[in-house]
Amino acid sequence: MASFERESLLYPLVADYKRQKSFQLQAPEMQFYEYRIDLFGFSPTLNLSVSVELKLNNWRRAVEQALLYQLCSDYSFIALPEPIVKRVNLDLLSSHGIGLIAVGAAGLCREVLGAAQSKVVRAFYRDAYIDLLQRRQ
Amino acid sequence: MSAVEPHVILRMGSHAEKDYFSKTIHLFDGIILGANLVEATPGASASLLVRFAGQKTKLPYYLDPMTYAFGSYVDGTNRHRSDLDWIKSEQTRKTKSGTKEKYRDFKRSYRGLADRIGEPLKSAIAKGRAIPPEAFNDAVLTESFCKAVVDYQLNRIQEILGEDTEFKEYAAEAPRPAVVFAPYFYIDPTNPVAWTTAVLNLASASTALSPERPVHAALCADMELLTNQSLIQRLVTELPKTQAKGVWLWFSGLLEEQADGPHLAALKSLVQRLSASMQVYNMHGGYLSLALSKYGMHGISHGVGYGEQKGVLPVIGQSTPTVRYYLPSVYKRFGVPQIARCFKELGIETPQDFHDKICDCVICKGIVTTSIDDFDAFGEMHKSTPSSRRFAQTPSAAKRCRFHFLLNRAKELKWMKTATVADVVGQLQEARGTWGPQPSMQSELGYLGVWESLLAS
Repeated sequence: MASFERESLLYPLVADYKRQKSFQLQAPEMQFYEYRIDLFGFSPTLNLSVSVELKLNNWRRAVEQALLYQLCSDYSFIALPEPIVKRVNLDLLSSHGIGLIAVGAAGLCREVLGAAQSKVVRAFYRDAYIDLLQRRQ
Repeated sequence: MSAVEPHVILRMGSHAEKDYFSKTIHLFDGIILGANLVEATPGASASLLVRFAGQKTKLPYYLDPMTYAFGSYVDGTNRHRSDLDWIKSEQTRKTKSGTKEKYRDFKRSYRGLADRIGEPLKSAIAKGRAIPPEAFNDAVLTESFCKAVVDYQLNRIQEILGEDTEFKEYAAEAPRPAVVFAPYFYIDPTNPVAWTTAVLNLASASTALSPERPVHAALCADMELLTNQSLIQRLVTELPKTQAKGVWLWFSGLLEEQADGPHLAALKSLVQRLSASMQVYNMHGGYLSLALSKYGMHGISHGVGYGEQKGVLPVIGQSTPTVRYYLPSVYKRFGVPQIARCFKELGIETPQDFHDKICDCVICKGIVTTSIDDFDAFGEMHKSTPSSRRFAQTPSAAKRCRFHFLLNRAKELKWMKTATVADVVGQLQEARGTWGPQPSMQSELGYLGVWESLLAS
């Protein structure tokens, strides 16, 4: 079984996965107040943004952060190593519209739970982050 | 003891905070300065006290003698320390060859304080060893130490003014502190009985001097002391016998929003029992301590931004913390996104909604004007230097948060004076009902229920 020693090892795998889902514009560690969004992406085709919080273990903490990222992104996910995923309370995620990505042994990603489009997204944040992302490319 | 009128004493941590005091101190009941600040900045401290506590305004002021800094403590790795390292800092000096070298030595402010007060602080500095509790088994040393500490508080500001050519003529009218503190030390958990004896002896010896101001004792201990029933019983019995008119509680590690029911119940019980014979203050208290005025807490002190709790062990080498937005409804600070995440569900869509449901202080009314997105100004970030890797809160955003907090604390103080226990509990219940279900807040609001039960019982 692949083990991920550092959170940063999850990043390229999840980034590739999201790129395949048309979120071509991406940036790691976008600062959102005191927090850093591990992966922020934008799909010009879909005109939708996504944020992903990566964690090795502490999925509850990931949820707390993902809830906040719903302010600046249309979809908010957490991504965890596959063995951790079974600990996650899917009902909790579902009730908040947060998606879940499992990062598997071979480095493949699997969407365990889809995210619902954020009901609390604010154009003030969303547009600023998309603009920042576009200027970075 | 039944309800008393609460007081809030603002603690000045550095002169960089002067603006907050200039603009809001009239809303509070006093100002407290540490003696280390006075020794680090004598002229600025004395002129500030003349301005705030002089003949015109007569605001009560307090000088914390900071004697605990010369005692022993338990460090972050749970090691018992008696090397006084916590009052040392990295310093730089020039060598004979002209190069600079770093060394660790006592902070100038504490060295100055020891020089002013004399023994046993001077010897502690000279030996680099903490004062042991047994030192105060010596009645002669104890009396002379107490006299020096009391005299310091009564006369130091006058002395500073007398030495200043500009302020010399005002020296005779120098304001005197509202009370004098007996010397106090941290009741080191490795030797609590001996330290408790020492603290009680120091309080008794100070009152025996019959100074011109009431003597207050300070009880500085780890929060676990609250559950040590035999020591608490001893303090309840013996503190009043010292004849001190007040006691300032400082339970290191006791965070009002994180402490469990038993610790808070022990605090409430202690306040109730001690307030039957003396004024009880929480030296680093927040809203809950203010509410405990309904059970005898006479007052609290805290800093301008964060400082409603303070560990005995100073925090060293951490980056400047973000000053978070004080959410008045729940009496706790939160990050801007945590609060903004609730706007939609709480029906906050316009600045007027924000002022009705979050805060209508003059700062918030001045900031949130055209859209609720203006709330971002409380969390505004920047790179403080071109080479900074991380973003940090802008000084302006931190300032807004501090002023907003102070205005709300003043409002709470005013309200608390006439509120009943039922009013306080009712507000907590309402806050829990409104904010408790909010996903971005719920994991951090458990204390509301704990406080409700504590205050209602």
